[in-house]
Amino acid sequence: MSAYYVMGLDIGSATAKAVLLDESGYSLAFAVRPTRGRLVQSAEEVKQEILAHTGVSEEAVKAIITTGYGRDIVQNKTKSLTEITCHARGAYATMPNIRFVIDIGGQDSKAILLEPDGQVGRFEMNDKCAAGTGRFLEVMARTLGIHLDEMGDMAIHSEKYSKISSTCTVFAESEVISLLAQGEEIPAVVSGLCRAIAERVYGLASRVGITPPIMMTGGVAKNKGVVNWLSRILNQEMIIPPEPQIIGALGAGIMGLEMIKKSNEKMNIITQNT
Amino acid sequence: MSSNIKSVLEPFEKVKDDLYFFARQAKQNGEKVAGFLCTYSPQELFHAGGYFPVRVIGKEGGTPLADQWLQQYACSFAKGVLNLGLTGDFSFLDLVVFSHTCDTMQNLAEVWRRRVEGMPIIVVSTPNLNGGDIALTYLKRELTRVKEEVEKISGNTITDANLLESIRIYDMHRNNMRKLYEIRRNNPSLLSGTDMFTVVLSSMLMKKEEHNKLLEVLITELQKVPSQKEDKPRILVGGSVCQAQGFIQSIEMSGAIVSDDDLCMGSRSYVIPPIPQGDPIEMLAQMYLSRIPCPAFYKPGYDPAGPYIEKIKSGNVNGVIFLQTKFCDPYGFNYPYLRKRLEQEGIPSLLLEVEQNQPVPEAFRTRVEAFVETLIK
Repeated sequence: MSAYYVMGLDIGSATAKAVLLDESGYSLAFAVRPTRGRLVQSAEEVKQEILAHTGVSEEAVKAIITTGYGRDIVQNKTKSLTEITCHARGAYATMPNIRFVIDIGGQDSKAILLEPDGQVGRFEMNDKCAAGTGRFLEVMARTLGIHLDEMGDMAIHSEKYSKISSTCTVFAESEVISLLAQGEEIPAVVSGLCRAIAERVYGLASRVGITPPIMMTGGVAKNKGVVNWLSRILNQEMIIPPEPQIIGALGAGIMGLEMIKKSNEKMNIITQNT
Repeated sequence: MSSNIKSVLEPFEKVKDDLYFFARQAKQNGEKVAGFLCTYSPQELFHAGGYFPVRVIGKEGGTPLADQWLQQYACSFAKGVLNLGLTGDFSFLDLVVFSHTCDTMQNLAEVWRRRVEGMPIIVVSTPNLNGGDIALTYLKRELTRVKEEVEKISGNTITDANLLESIRIYDMHRNNMRKLYEIRRNNPSLLSGTDMFTVVLSSMLMKKEEHNKLLEVLITELQKVPSQKEDKPRILVGGSVCQAQGFIQSIEMSGAIVSDDDLCMGSRSYVIPPIPQGDPIEMLAQMYLSRIPCPAFYKPGYDPAGPYIEKIKSGNVNGVIFLQTKFCDPYGFNYPYLRKRLEQEGIPSLLLEVEQNQPVPEAFRTRVEAFVETLIK
């Protein structure tokens, strides 16, 4: 039985994620739920879900660290940290030799270079545009009348891929419609879309300086089509953790644990000195 | 912050609500107001010619009128000010002064001349080569031409005595601002970067005589405060942003302190070495050629990383954030070299592309916070 627990909450644009750690850093459980614009509510839902699942009481949770777009709006948090710091920390905890993290989430993508000690070195984030993000795939799935989860398999089994030239989600959507009008097969279009994302992310990663081993995190890491195209374009293996979506929340939890340990050490020094 | 300093800051803060509060007040008192778009406009000349020189700045919002006349690749600063020219927001100006620094500024002057009616403009051409006898001869001749033009438009004669007095007032002002920067370099928490940039902004929108008085009081008050220990990471802001307030505030909200800058609308315009008294036009020419050169200019032997490294070392700066206005090519060309030099010195830096007439975007905040998190180890 652990003396205390720590929770990491990653409130993203698409989904809310929670991870519960015990004092040794062992991850007891995680929860993922769609945000659907209700940041505070979804944060509370994943938190309660995980507590109910593990039977840990709210009082036993000594720190709650929040991250993601909704990090500041969540109440009763110990501290908030950016997704960049948390994804880096989570990836490093999963595999300590990781030097590079590509995180593709709902509305942004990030490339993070890790120092050998796990600290964040340089990083880049996409801005202004949703191309190269999960939202891009969501919009396209709707346009194509297919399910988001089907896209990965469809892409890797397609021998052909359509050339999608547009880097803007809205323009790419009209490009997809005209491709379909020209009789292009849906799997080829899907593969082309995955390639378009991979190309965007390649640009982002190159600006930081691609340094293997590379881990991919975020919801889009579950899409085999994007992963496949990324490893082809970067000419590198993509390491995908078992649950790529919760790496940010995991990192937040670990940062919380480190904070507690640091303040305990400080307390010990003070008590020893007095 | 002590209540004394708070009350000393109050008069500076008037410009936050209304940029042109003081300009309009002067106008109501029958004075003439000249707007300048660039710190290379020799404000001393316009001051001596009886004008109150104020900086022309855009404001938050779209620029539909300016979009009609400027290409998509013109910067948001150019679009913002032209839009206000076209809406009539600057109708209180008696004269607008442009400088030929980058091509956008030069071309903006010509668009303005044709599209903004009823307002005389003057274009000051500083030589792109900031060094040698030819540049000095050229600028002296140019400043003489500008002086004659100011005299013609205003109807006032600019005597040597007038001009020397204006130079003295402006020199004193630059001195005071440098003192303030020096105080913050040693002890940034005495005055937040956000407050510092209110002082910087007001310095371009208030009469220098008034601003000097307020600065002297502020400096005296700050010198009374015992130095405090500060554990926030110190950030130097560089790049090409003209309206930095919102960005500075956002950076400081992330837990850092903006302790210094290398901005044109910031420390760069206050660094002019003292010039021995003589012919005032020659003095002005020498002063403007001895500035830290605008990235659109070339100065033999000048190292753009020099001022950065000097300020970083003397002010114990922990990281640099470049605020790069989109489409500002002259600064863009400097950036790869600056980044490399900072890397060699072991100083972390972050590049952020910004637009000047828009509120600070969420993604900006996330990146700044992440950068500050890497500095707190």
